[in-house]
Amino acid sequence: MNIPPVEPGTVGPCPVAPDALQGIKRQQTNPARWNGAGWQDFVAALRSAGVELTEGRAACGAYVTDAGGTAYGQPHGVVIAHSAGEVAALLRTAQAHRVPVTVRGGGLTTEGEAVAYGGVLLDMTGMSRVLAIDAAALTVRVEAGIYWHSLAEELRREKLDYLSAPLNLTSSVGGTLGVGGIDVNSARLGCSADQALSLQVVTPTGEIVECSDTENAELFQRVILGYGQFGVITEATLRIRRYTPLSMHYYYYSSLATAIEDLQMLDRNDASDYSGILTIMDCAVNLLVAFDSDEREAAFRRDWEARLRGHGEFGFALCMLGHYALRPWKAGEALYLLKRKQAVFPEFRRPEYMRDGKMHDRSVVFSRAVWKHWGSRNMVIPDLATPADRFVAAVERGNAVCRKFFPHYTLYCVGIKLRPEHRPHYEMSCVPPDAEGWAYGCEFEPMIEGEVYSRDHFQAFKNAIYDIGVDLGASYYRFGGMMKGYIRRVFGDALVDRHLAMKRKADPAMILNRDVIF
Amino acid sequence: MRNVDVVIVGASLAAAAAAKRLVDAGLETVILERKELPRHKICSGILSPRGHRFLLENFGPLPPETLHQPTACRGVTFHFPSMVSMPMDFFHGTTPHLHRKYSDHWAIQRSGAEVHDQTSFAGLEDKADHVLVHARQNGAPVEYRARQVIGADGPSSLVVRAVYPDYTKQIPWFFVGQKFHEIIDCPLSSDYFHFWFHPGLGHYTWSHARDGRQIVGVGFKRGDNFAKKHQVVEQYLRDKHGVQLKPAADDHEGCAENFGPSLINRYLFGKGNVLVTGQAAGFLNMIGEGMSCALHSGAISGEAIVEAQRRNRPVQEIYRRMIASEVRRCSDQWNPLKIAFERPHEADFPEALMKLSWRERGLVLRDMWRFIVLFKEFKWGRQIASAALQRPLLGGYSMQRWQ
Repeated sequence: MNIPPVEPGTVGPCPVAPDALQGIKRQQTNPARWNGAGWQDFVAALRSAGVELTEGRAACGAYVTDAGGTAYGQPHGVVIAHSAGEVAALLRTAQAHRVPVTVRGGGLTTEGEAVAYGGVLLDMTGMSRVLAIDAAALTVRVEAGIYWHSLAEELRREKLDYLSAPLNLTSSVGGTLGVGGIDVNSARLGCSADQALSLQVVTPTGEIVECSDTENAELFQRVILGYGQFGVITEATLRIRRYTPLSMHYYYYSSLATAIEDLQMLDRNDASDYSGILTIMDCAVNLLVAFDSDEREAAFRRDWEARLRGHGEFGFALCMLGHYALRPWKAGEALYLLKRKQAVFPEFRRPEYMRDGKMHDRSVVFSRAVWKHWGSRNMVIPDLATPADRFVAAVERGNAVCRKFFPHYTLYCVGIKLRPEHRPHYEMSCVPPDAEGWAYGCEFEPMIEGEVYSRDHFQAFKNAIYDIGVDLGASYYRFGGMMKGYIRRVFGDALVDRHLAMKRKADPAMILNRDVIF
Repeated sequence: MRNVDVVIVGASLAAAAAAKRLVDAGLETVILERKELPRHKICSGILSPRGHRFLLENFGPLPPETLHQPTACRGVTFHFPSMVSMPMDFFHGTTPHLHRKYSDHWAIQRSGAEVHDQTSFAGLEDKADHVLVHARQNGAPVEYRARQVIGADGPSSLVVRAVYPDYTKQIPWFFVGQKFHEIIDCPLSSDYFHFWFHPGLGHYTWSHARDGRQIVGVGFKRGDNFAKKHQVVEQYLRDKHGVQLKPAADDHEGCAENFGPSLINRYLFGKGNVLVTGQAAGFLNMIGEGMSCALHSGAISGEAIVEAQRRNRPVQEIYRRMIASEVRRCSDQWNPLKIAFERPHEADFPEALMKLSWRERGLVLRDMWRFIVLFKEFKWGRQIASAALQRPLLGGYSMQRWQ
């Protein structure tokens, strides 16, 4: 038998270990279902502690999958959270009986993080009240199961607004603080998780703890952007601001790299209040810029608009006309662009949300458009977050992957302002470890358009995007779409093991959100 | 009578993948296996990297007992009558050499499904809202009442025979057999799976190392003589490649296979509440690797049942929509246009070809053509050409060959 050559000084690798696969280490990302050992005793203990638990297929079936729609799993029972005390009783009992607990807010995860493979599913949407609004200090205290959209509704009545939140209707405050959350103003105001001032957290052992940058700071650092590993957020105090309508401007590019360079130029110079890139494939790249005040808008027009290399709508239409006239074989692509433009653009200019040329209630306008034109039964949105200098390369490589896997897709890019004093929060999170000033994120969103793709196809696509992240030393943001198989490769064993040790200390039976990252 | 959500027939990798999805979704699943587990399985055991990824992501790292020696395979080497050899490494690293007896059992156990071994499938009755499955456990009749049934019992599937009684008469059948030889001297690299494009040797000729012995495998149209075919290959290996082997041990094995190229093969996905998956459905990658598509199609059959129950839709409709991408991927592997201009396989044939001299390239293409002519009697040429053209023109393959 031939003995495979081994380079001097190296130990021969195990040829069938997960790391034998070139490109990326894999590990089990579809966990085995919990075997239900001791379930009945646990249920009895839980009921005697006064916690209401629902069993049965009808109750559990509602939670069988998440927004990603590719992971399927059913809990043994469901608890709908009503108070921190109830959550604490649940976690104490679960810890004692070693029953896994999976926490779910809006269920907007894409890799099955909010899907319970047996055990208890804790539905946080039962805790969805606004507790106090302080208009003078510009803070709000909320229960963590509230959707950002519902929070916005309450704040509007006081002429207030949240700082930044994901552009969809059903992500919850607690879930977002655990993974990141971006908005078109993140380049100025940071990610949603950065707006939390303090939290009420139920630890995995069932203690109710208030934490902030000054009080129980270590727990605060771990829970923020912590993928739900170190506690269940039950209440949060968030920074808020005065409500303002927006004036929007759009600039069109045919090159991703040029649009990204212009976006980064605007962010570096604080030239706009909102900025982002939304594309139709890589053919029509739209740089979106918006302002809270006329003064900021006037300053932008005076100092920065001329430096942008994008076209207006009419100019871009002419360019495209010329481009496709010379390439008649791409007529299908041109027709798709036209169709898409006609469908999507009016959504951002609906008369009921426009007054005096300004957009009112961007949460509704954007969220509605996102669900209507990008939503589907499978939310497949792998993403990459990189330092500014590697962002163009990441987007261009991701774009090539999208082209390979799907006929039509959208890219959505924004900057995320980092807060130097929050560096401990960012450890092992969506923020790339070497990002300075801003991190940049891009979501790669295939248009499913009624097609049914297999889970394997989606998974292969997501892996191809995530592999780029590993290759470029990036991270992954917004949905916590960081598969368990990637975390060690991205952050290295030393850091992951340190967090794992902390997790084991905080959660001895490893019951809380098992298999999400550890 | 046992009342369950899903009965899976066969304890194969496809069954394990389907069971994994069903059990994860909380469906009560029973797997019926004719033999006692762990059971022997005739297979080369060389999994593709795509299958390896699936196993890792769904069942975890492979324990040592699930592997033969050498534990891994680096790639495939093609040999031609003109004595040109083309080694090609897999794109994504080495891939495991599965000991099917233990790897299948391990995957089945990891799926979490309940297994009834020594229980042979004896028939089924689809009653629209449920299926009655008849079986024999240790000779005694047993019955199961299931909402759905998955047939994952390989090429000679009993479920397929129950649902499509005429199928076996509609396709050409091949016999694939392998014999095991103690090695005296074998210059063929044990890192590779070796395949011969030689019309004189048979329709499917391969060799690789396993547990200190050399496998010599032959495939041919059913009706030919295994011993004679094997002797020709053994002689050829000795004369042309200097492979010195002791006479074959008496543990040779063989089975019937339904492989026509998957580009034109008929796919069977079942009827009503009965789904067919894996090789029983007609999935087979080029060079006969069926495990990775069995895993993926098996998982899709499980997902389709979960999805159908969740959305209260007919399971066939959901399954056929979800399986389309796997059909497309598998068919691409056999599509000559895809092979020439893209990379449908997990090793790079065009690149290996370009490494050869112009003369050798000519010889390889000539030899491949002569090998393809061996399949002339099946009249696949026109079908392959039309299916290959459908892909760029229509964006996919016709569903007319689905049943």
